[in-house]
Amino acid sequence: MLSDTVALSGRSLKKWIRNPFSMVPVAIQALVWLLLFGNSFNPGSALSSSGGSLGILQNVFGGATNYITFLTPGVIGMLALTGMTFLGVDFVMDRLNGYLDMLKTSPIPRTSIYFGGVLQNVVKAMFASVITFVLAFLVPDGLRPASGFGVANLLGLFFAIAMLTTVFSTLFTGISVAAKSTDSFFAVVNFLFFPVAFTSTALFPIGFFPGWLKPVAQANPISLASGAARLVIVNGALTASQFSSYFGDILGLVVYAIAFTMLGILLAKNALKVE
Amino acid sequence: MTSIIQAEGLTKKYGDKTAVDQISFDIAEGELFGFLGPNGAGKTTTIRMLTTIASVTKGKATVAGYDVAKNPGAVRARIGVVPQQLIADDELTGMENVLLFAKLHHVRDEKALKRAAQLLQLVDLQGSARKKAKTYSGGMKRRLQLAMGLVHDPAILFLDEPSLGLDIQTRAKMWDYVRKLNTDNGITVFMTTHYLEEADALCDRVAIVDGGTIKVSGSPAELKMRLGGDLLSIQVTSGTDLTGFLEGVQDVKEVVRLSDAGYRIKIPRVEKALPEIVDGITERGLKILDISFTRPTLDQVFLQVTGRQIRDGEGFGTPQISVLKEEKV
Repeated sequence: MLSDTVALSGRSLKKWIRNPFSMVPVAIQALVWLLLFGNSFNPGSALSSSGGSLGILQNVFGGATNYITFLTPGVIGMLALTGMTFLGVDFVMDRLNGYLDMLKTSPIPRTSIYFGGVLQNVVKAMFASVITFVLAFLVPDGLRPASGFGVANLLGLFFAIAMLTTVFSTLFTGISVAAKSTDSFFAVVNFLFFPVAFTSTALFPIGFFPGWLKPVAQANPISLASGAARLVIVNGALTASQFSSYFGDILGLVVYAIAFTMLGILLAKNALKVE
Repeated sequence: MTSIIQAEGLTKKYGDKTAVDQISFDIAEGELFGFLGPNGAGKTTTIRMLTTIASVTKGKATVAGYDVAKNPGAVRARIGVVPQQLIADDELTGMENVLLFAKLHHVRDEKALKRAAQLLQLVDLQGSARKKAKTYSGGMKRRLQLAMGLVHDPAILFLDEPSLGLDIQTRAKMWDYVRKLNTDNGITVFMTTHYLEEADALCDRVAIVDGGTIKVSGSPAELKMRLGGDLLSIQVTSGTDLTGFLEGVQDVKEVVRLSDAGYRIKIPRVEKALPEIVDGITERGLKILDISFTRPTLDQVFLQVTGRQIRDGEGFGTPQISVLKEEKV
């Protein structure tokens, strides 16, 4: 089961690594978010040009010293979401060209076809996350983590991101396995994309949301992951109360991942069963 | 001979449409068995049931001793499948494509490497094994898929339209590989085809399918013999009616006088009767202006059992073997 999963995701990852253009769109998208959105929507410049105090802003943005520091985890979450919508197409193509049928005649467990997809998509999304993180450092007025930010903090940061990509991958791989055509896949993805993207705190803090939307925004997986990531970026070493907040966010993501995995297994078993 | 694939009243319905209608057959171990029929006859649906991808609506099928519906896992472990679509991964090399399927069939690494190299050699791809499949021609991809389907050493190989879209030379090569696998390695082969020549050249036994049912089955030679043998056409210098003489020649089944000096003779084997016919005509002071004969083909068998041509405008047609043309004897 595990070896089948690894073999199947290896197939896709090999193809992905060999394609020199597979990383370029990710880098471009990350730059567009960071440079265009990060600057045009920068509340800091708006505030300083009207003579306001940046201290207030730092409060609103959970202690981030500039907007891109706040924005970076959100961009990573948004890119994980957009990335998944494209990665899912692979599966639909495998179904259409007969590859899936060939897999179905082999003795591998049907669920390993699903988990192979989950794994490969997590790896790809994590790679995109690392690129985005590095680029966020390099852009002007970019990511400025807390002064004591070290390896342990980096691990904590990427653990949160890994959980988010797992949440999205378990969900979208399930949808793509079940989709019979690219049209039906994109129909479902389009239905999900904007509500998930715009009820999150990826781009602006929870204080910007109206009261009725706050609970939804707080429960959004992108909000959970960027909340956890921001805690680590802004504070470096976490206090006990900060850690419990971080842990709560991670727990929320684990619940999502388990639920979506169960849903994905159900969808995959149904979609891959004997016709 | 022990049977290795059995179908009894095997039926597949998609909604109201019956794709496969109560077919029964029995394939012996080591046999090269062909399902011959036009597109939409139910060939691929039958393969899909036998390879555990499609469910069985009614009836029963066992493969390698296991019921395809009750024990699909045991069937999957013993079969190799080569689909009609070109599915090899373009971005992977030929070798990687084969090794992936070895892995999915849990063949140990060193054994897989050895086996993959052997198979790629068998299908003449050893020189391209390290090249990406996107550089392969259609024929090379088909051969690669043959290796992918065989890497775990299955007892039974299912080949769905193995030479679909291949040119004639490449097709003949494909036949060589399949024959070699069957005779040298003892693999039972179940294949589908809509090429009559392919079924004729390759299969030990053929079932002609049309509209989801088996119309007739037997060895290609048996099926052709049912048509009554060769057809000899002869054109002589005009004059005497030769009907009586020709009917008297040994084994002749039927003589039709097409014109004043033209005859068509039905006879099991032309070569046995030809000397007697030629001598008789010469003795009567006549000369042969033209002589030709046709051997029965699966085309004609197909036409006879289904009432139509398998497909128009494709294939090689009926071989016309002209023995002698406008030559004065």
